[in-house]
Amino acid sequence: MSPARLGAGALLAAVTIALAWHPGRATSTTIHGAAAGDVRAIYLADCGVCHGAGGRGTTRGPTLVGVGRASVDYWVSTGRMPLGDPRLSAVDARKTPARHRPRYSRPVIDALVDYVVSFGAGGTDIPRVDLRAANLAEGGELFRAQCAACHAWAGDGGALLHREAPSLHRATATQIAEAVRVGPGLMPAFGTAAVSDRQLDSVTAYVRYLDHPKDRGGNPLWHLGPVAEGAIAWIFGTGILVLATRWIGET
Amino acid sequence: MTQREERRAERAAAAGFGVTVLACGGLAYVYLQGGQAQLEGLLLAVAFAGVAYGFVTWGQKLMPQGPVSEDRHHLPSTEPERERFEADLERGGVLTRRRLLVRALGAAVVALGGVALFPIRSLGPRPGTSLAHTPWRRGMRLVTEDGRPVRAADVPRGGLVTVFPEGHAGSADGQAVLVRVEDPGRIRHRPGRDDWSPHGYIAYSKVCTHAGCPVGLYQAETHQLLCPCHQSTFDVLDGARPVFGPAAAALPQLPLRLDPDGYLRARGDFPEPVGPAYWHRA
Repeated sequence: MSPARLGAGALLAAVTIALAWHPGRATSTTIHGAAAGDVRAIYLADCGVCHGAGGRGTTRGPTLVGVGRASVDYWVSTGRMPLGDPRLSAVDARKTPARHRPRYSRPVIDALVDYVVSFGAGGTDIPRVDLRAANLAEGGELFRAQCAACHAWAGDGGALLHREAPSLHRATATQIAEAVRVGPGLMPAFGTAAVSDRQLDSVTAYVRYLDHPKDRGGNPLWHLGPVAEGAIAWIFGTGILVLATRWIGET
Repeated sequence: MTQREERRAERAAAAGFGVTVLACGGLAYVYLQGGQAQLEGLLLAVAFAGVAYGFVTWGQKLMPQGPVSEDRHHLPSTEPERERFEADLERGGVLTRRRLLVRALGAAVVALGGVALFPIRSLGPRPGTSLAHTPWRRGMRLVTEDGRPVRAADVPRGGLVTVFPEGHAGSADGQAVLVRVEDPGRIRHRPGRDDWSPHGYIAYSKVCTHAGCPVGLYQAETHQLLCPCHQSTFDVLDGARPVFGPAAAALPQLPLRLDPDGYLRARGDFPEPVGPAYWHRA
């Protein structure tokens, strides 16, 4: 092998390794094990920078006093909090944090919820969802009336003014119910006046159903809706029609 | 075309029709077995394609092919006919006889014009001032779509409920969005409307002033109501003033008050007509 080739090979290998190697990011490691003392340390390290040591909020982040269990559990269990890099999302108020793998294990999240709630009473408790009591058809009606305008008819999310509504496909039943009751970020909160507890079960069941909908029409075309379906129908349908017309016109 | 080619074409067309029969049989079988939408669709397509193939083959191969020309017949009228026409023309009766027809036609047109007015009457009673009002009356409670009265405590901060006048759940022009603003101090009241939004509960007509779509999207963080049809955006804190999109007029505000039992009630109707701004606004 010539020296030039050897050099090129070595360079390629070096670039490949450099591209494949990520320095250990804080966001991709899950913290396990929790004792009361640890939770305070975790809070101060990951949350206190923006929300303040006592959760009263700073210029970088809102207060956590009285936000309630459902809100804390939603933000932390969906991995939206803590922010990977506070400078990115907190500075740009137009950016709502996106869903990530949760930073903490379940026991740590529970301990963190307890810790944050100890700052002050108030807010919504974590809703108890009973999917066995759900009425899927009613849930579908509620979804189309209350949720589909932002999250799109198949729960894939959609565009708002300068913002976007997230996809619902990876949310657990509890997270869906929490989001409805709490209204995280841009989303309005839906209290019992808007969605009763029984209706909440139904709409949650419907959102879970949207993960694996029964596509009776065959290929769902990525659930994009009438635009994709119309494009396929026009391109293939008119193509076949043109060919057929040519064949009929032949003499 | 030879006898043999013709027989072959005949068989091909018949085979096409045969395919249709088979596909229809298959369709019946699949349907009776419980059905499978995609397979049924395919069989139906094959059935139609069989008929189409048969027809086209029949038309192309077995029908007489053109172009076919026909000689023109003799155009001028015969001598006696022409003489008779000239005689009629000179007598003058031929054309005046049409006067009856013209009058009858005039009568028919007039009658049709009169009949055309009937649908205008059938449009129904005159709307009068009803378009300027909704079912909202002073003291009416706000209810949800299924008729439950809205308790203020059941609307969380940053919350949103679609509300209707009590007794008119589902009313198209009476529907309104009730929002509970987290920080009531940020609401900029219009003159004379200071007490229309108690404790940050504020309600606006849900009918977009642009094209009448339901303004159902609420961005709680930015306090903006969005219309899903054309992205008209209204600032809830500033009298639902349009801040983006094609809507030109603010959403009419519903005056609210909180009754001692904790229910929300209307202080009266919307101060201006709801919906698209196509008629005069005060």
